[in-house]
Amino acid sequence: MNTAGMQGSKPRTPYHEFYADDFTPRDHYRLLWDHIKATGNNALEAKAHESQLALQAEGVTFTVYGESEEGIERIWPFDLIPRIITAQEWTKIESGLKQRVRALNLFLGDLYGEQKIIKDGVIPPELIYQGRDFRREIVGIVPPRGIYTHISGIDIIRDEQGEFLILEDNLRTPSGVSYMIENRVIERRILPEFFNKYRVRRVEHYPALLLAAMRSLSPRGKDAAEIVLLTPGIYNSAYFEHTFLAKEMGVELAEGRDMVVINDIVYLKTTTGLQRVDVIYRRIDDDFLDPLVFRSDSALGIAGVINAWRAGNVAIVNAPGSGIADDKAVYPYVPDIIRYYLGQQPILNNVPTYQMTNVKEREYVFDNMERMVIKAVSESGGYGMLMGPSSTPALRKEFMDLVQENPRNYIAQPVVYLSRHTCYMDGELEARHLDLRPFTIYGEEIEVVPGGLTRVALRKGSLVVNSSQGGGSKDTWVLAE
Amino acid sequence: MHYLIEHETVLEYPRTVREHHIELRLAPRSDGHQKLLSCSIETEPAAELASYTDYFGNRVDYFCVIQPHNRLVTRLRADVETLKENPFSFDPVPPAEEQEWLRAAVRKSPPLNDFVLHRSPLTPAAMKLAEAVTSAFPRMESARPKLDALMELLAWVPTVLEYRSGSTEVHGSLTDAVHQGSGVCQDFAHLFITVARSWGIPARYVMGYLDPGICSTGEQLATHAWAEALVPGAGWIGFDATHNLLANDHYVAVAVGRDSYDAAPQRGSFKGDSAGELPTVTVTVQEQEQQ
Repeated sequence: MNTAGMQGSKPRTPYHEFYADDFTPRDHYRLLWDHIKATGNNALEAKAHESQLALQAEGVTFTVYGESEEGIERIWPFDLIPRIITAQEWTKIESGLKQRVRALNLFLGDLYGEQKIIKDGVIPPELIYQGRDFRREIVGIVPPRGIYTHISGIDIIRDEQGEFLILEDNLRTPSGVSYMIENRVIERRILPEFFNKYRVRRVEHYPALLLAAMRSLSPRGKDAAEIVLLTPGIYNSAYFEHTFLAKEMGVELAEGRDMVVINDIVYLKTTTGLQRVDVIYRRIDDDFLDPLVFRSDSALGIAGVINAWRAGNVAIVNAPGSGIADDKAVYPYVPDIIRYYLGQQPILNNVPTYQMTNVKEREYVFDNMERMVIKAVSESGGYGMLMGPSSTPALRKEFMDLVQENPRNYIAQPVVYLSRHTCYMDGELEARHLDLRPFTIYGEEIEVVPGGLTRVALRKGSLVVNSSQGGGSKDTWVLAE
Repeated sequence: MHYLIEHETVLEYPRTVREHHIELRLAPRSDGHQKLLSCSIETEPAAELASYTDYFGNRVDYFCVIQPHNRLVTRLRADVETLKENPFSFDPVPPAEEQEWLRAAVRKSPPLNDFVLHRSPLTPAAMKLAEAVTSAFPRMESARPKLDALMELLAWVPTVLEYRSGSTEVHGSLTDAVHQGSGVCQDFAHLFITVARSWGIPARYVMGYLDPGICSTGEQLATHAWAEALVPGAGWIGFDATHNLLANDHYVAVAVGRDSYDAAPQRGSFKGDSAGELPTVTVTVQEQEQQ
């Protein structure tokens, strides 16, 4: 971005999803608002209690990693007041996500093929060749129908004007979809009356959609598709989700050691012998996927699986190498990537982003660190990040050194005051910041499940919504026309 | 020249291992500089071999041995004709146009970026070596022909490193080798590559074989290593810093990459006790009579 527009910061008020002003709810929240006013806090308290019991009974948990090595398993934090998205708003989100996912898949096919976009000077070669997730090992392999990201979980925020913006692209092993579904299950139980009053679109068919998309990739045809969900195991923070999805889709849940590759065919070891595998839904990173090709010290992967993939005997979801397209240093170029491959203007804009490799932009960021978010490009989940407004001088100095040492490894964005929403917090209705992660499946077509995981920053004033950093969640209602 | 190459690798394990997958980068290249006449690989226990061409254009042969075993042998036999008698036989580009020649080459073929940009402990940023290197780095002035500077670099490397067999570990860091002032052919090649890249010249690592008659280190080499730099007007030229020689038809190139890790002759993964022994490698390179 150019530095001319960087000056001046007006006082900013975050967009409120629920209220149009201090006294009036937005139209699509009125029904809910009337109900809350009529029934009072006692009724809310009862429902909040009910939702807690339901989450406990269902065993909906996630794992937080902190100072201690071992993770702590917690009950999934859920706020019972739903976030409502109008049909009109959703149309824009949906078309914007489809456009972005289509372009990013064309981009991946090009990077691992002819690299026209580099030859045409649209993106600098350093960006790719110095990217940790550009996988030379898979260059020349074309996955079925050229699809790399069968599942995308792209994060969307809403700025002060209420405009939806893309915050980051998650194309590796995006998580959270199980919570989207569990939130809906709980919400249907505790607010059944509203599902009649509001025409809320379904999200529960996600596992069926994913299963159909994976079946369509099977090298032995849809009907003979044996599908395995590859998990790193019970210590992974998303293990709950792995078991949830395997159960919902009726596919095997397995670890790398449960599988073996023999002459380019992948097999699952079962009590009745070896069983051929057609599609692997992997929930482990590229680095650990195949010790023969990637990290040789990985005990989580399957030796030989990349060669089996190259031979066309197995499909891998998402395709290895997808990570270069959600590298945060590539993110500022996505609007250009959309224009380059589709000849269209982006429907959803990016958050303005400063590139640390650009000296001018870097200096500007250093001068305004209190108003910036600085992110390491290959980290996710809120790790490796500086939140300027709440940072200490020592931490800012530390990040300055890190950025200077390896500028390619960092980007910065002005802090966006995420939109807020009413939440029921310990007996009071209070506003909290939130974002949205809808899930997109690229099977025969690209489909965006109408809804998503709304993540809430539970601490007052906090802008960090990641569940690994103490975030909560809401059910997300997309309304039918 | 015409060479018959035999390369045997024996892996022995104190306890049985299983589900053993192996990738070999052993088949000599077939390109403008050499012709692979025949090549066969056999394994013990016997296995079904498959192959593909990797990102760097190397042929990879791979196989697996699933059943428990204590010993795994691979044996390559290759018949190669080398063609490059005189590495200097090319039309040079005027020095003033060399930079543009290189830029155009990289623009046309983006993967060449790797051979300029890649940094690893094996080929670090040249400035990281500055404190370990006692003699002054060769200089690259813009008016100077690239080949000239590269020849000076070729002669400079052996002033920094002394050849000492077994003095460094496979895939050990270059900084360590330079600090101790000694290394093996890998280190010589990596040092050459590191400095050439700091000049913006694409440089890559080559693993291959050397005519035993050339070998001055006085011992039977298993595989040899040298560097290739992209020279304007010529294309890839091989620089053997261990011997201060340009690669000619006494050199048989096998695999190339950004550094020795990419071009490793054998890579494997197995289940079982990993307290294995080092592989025993036996290589013979025999010059054949011209027919």
